[in-house]
Amino acid sequence: MSSRLRVFFIDNAVAILILLLIAFAIPVAKLPASFLAQEILMRLGRDTFLVLALLLPIMAGMGLNFGMVLGAMAGQLGLIFISDWGIVGIPGLLLAMIISLPISVCLGWVCGSIMNRAKGREMVTGFILAFFMNGIYMMIVLYAMGSIIPIFNPELLLSRGYGIRNVVGLDGVRQSFDNLIPLHVAGLKIPVFSYLLIAAGAGLLIWFRRTKLGQDMRAVGQDRAVSGAAGIPVERTRILAIMISTVLAGIGQVIFLQNLGTINTTSSHEQIGMFSIAALLIGGASVTKASIPNVIVGVILFHLLFLVSPMAGKNLIGSGMLGEYFRQFVSYGVIALALVLYEWKRVTRENDARATLRAGGAA
Amino acid sequence: MSARSLFQRSCVLAGLVALSAFLFYIGKGHTLLIDTNAVTLDGKEFSCADSVSVSIDGHEPESMGRAERTMVQVGGPRHTITIEAGDQKLEQRFSVPTFLDPALVSVPAILGGAPRRYWIGKFTAPPAEETPVEQMQQQDSPAPEAPKP
Repeated sequence: MSSRLRVFFIDNAVAILILLLIAFAIPVAKLPASFLAQEILMRLGRDTFLVLALLLPIMAGMGLNFGMVLGAMAGQLGLIFISDWGIVGIPGLLLAMIISLPISVCLGWVCGSIMNRAKGREMVTGFILAFFMNGIYMMIVLYAMGSIIPIFNPELLLSRGYGIRNVVGLDGVRQSFDNLIPLHVAGLKIPVFSYLLIAAGAGLLIWFRRTKLGQDMRAVGQDRAVSGAAGIPVERTRILAIMISTVLAGIGQVIFLQNLGTINTTSSHEQIGMFSIAALLIGGASVTKASIPNVIVGVILFHLLFLVSPMAGKNLIGSGMLGEYFRQFVSYGVIALALVLYEWKRVTRENDARATLRAGGAA
Repeated sequence: MSARSLFQRSCVLAGLVALSAFLFYIGKGHTLLIDTNAVTLDGKEFSCADSVSVSIDGHEPESMGRAERTMVQVGGPRHTITIEAGDQKLEQRFSVPTFLDPALVSVPAILGGAPRRYWIGKFTAPPAEETPVEQMQQQDSPAPEAPKP
């Protein structure tokens, strides 16, 4: 019983730690319950799709896809284009998603191909690749747009005549998905259509897992060598996992930014990977195993902590900035803790297997 | 890649391009300048009542006087304008060409029953008043230096 309890605590260490922090911070923050509920409902609609994008690479054994930032960049490019062309409302958002599709597919293919050359080190490869692609993204947005790529709306351009301004307002599409099906329950606004999109994404993933390709991904995630011997095209399957993840991240970024209503051209995408991964890990997922309930629980807990930590910091120390630093600390700390636990469990499992083998040999 | 696969992918691509074009058409935003200035069309003058209430697509009606102009942001090509002038209430549908922006909507033309082609027009900004060259030079010249002690 004690060993089962120990395993439970080790497996859910991140979620338990965050729950304890939240349990401590909520009474200190003294925020109204209605405010917290409203914010969580909005943030659930805003972020969940992005976190869903992380599931397939985990299933394919490629760990946490830090390369999802590439998809977020594609989504942002789509939104910049529709802002320039003046496309508003739902058609604007759908068009932004369609524009992001080919960009996401190409970036996903590049990312997957590079990860195939760095098997076993996919996470750090994705992380560094995101930095590299960020440079190319900046070059496109700050130099090519307005000079090589035509931009018709002068309000989007920097005063020098080329390059996109640091902040692009999405007034024409702001909260278009959230307000499409208006529903108020007990004074709380519920973004029904965003939830429907998330449900569609989750349904698609559940269906996909049952397809031949989904089964192949699961097999590749469990053992690459055996999958290869069984005739599964391992490298192609891994590339497809990353490509689908990147496409979903692009769509997720459009949903995310329509809720915010502005694009921070140079930095909106940068933190997406880190925050989404931290949310997933807080939900009880690990580097090798993640599910849709992990996504939903993770987004709720992560944002609950995000909401209460600044006010808790202000009430405790007298400075709201402590909470801001705490957010960063939690995001990075959770990822670090999950990675350490994963590695520790792997080493423990290998040692146990070795000990069992030796014991068997001695007998 | 087999011919069938190539065909299927081409169909998907063509479908996406067609969907994009459709979304562009139905989602293009327009700036409408609702105008109550009198207009002369085919030799006939159309003028507006002293006070009208104009609403686009059922939004909050805006009260306008004679020879006024107000700006409305809309999305998509088809819209409904509701004009109330005294006891008269008129509701008409109109279309805005995709690449016409900003578009001038003539309330007198709609109220007076002018042909539809006159309802929407291209807005041309009036030329900026030219500043006399001498005045510009005077403005550009540096401020006179203070006398040195």
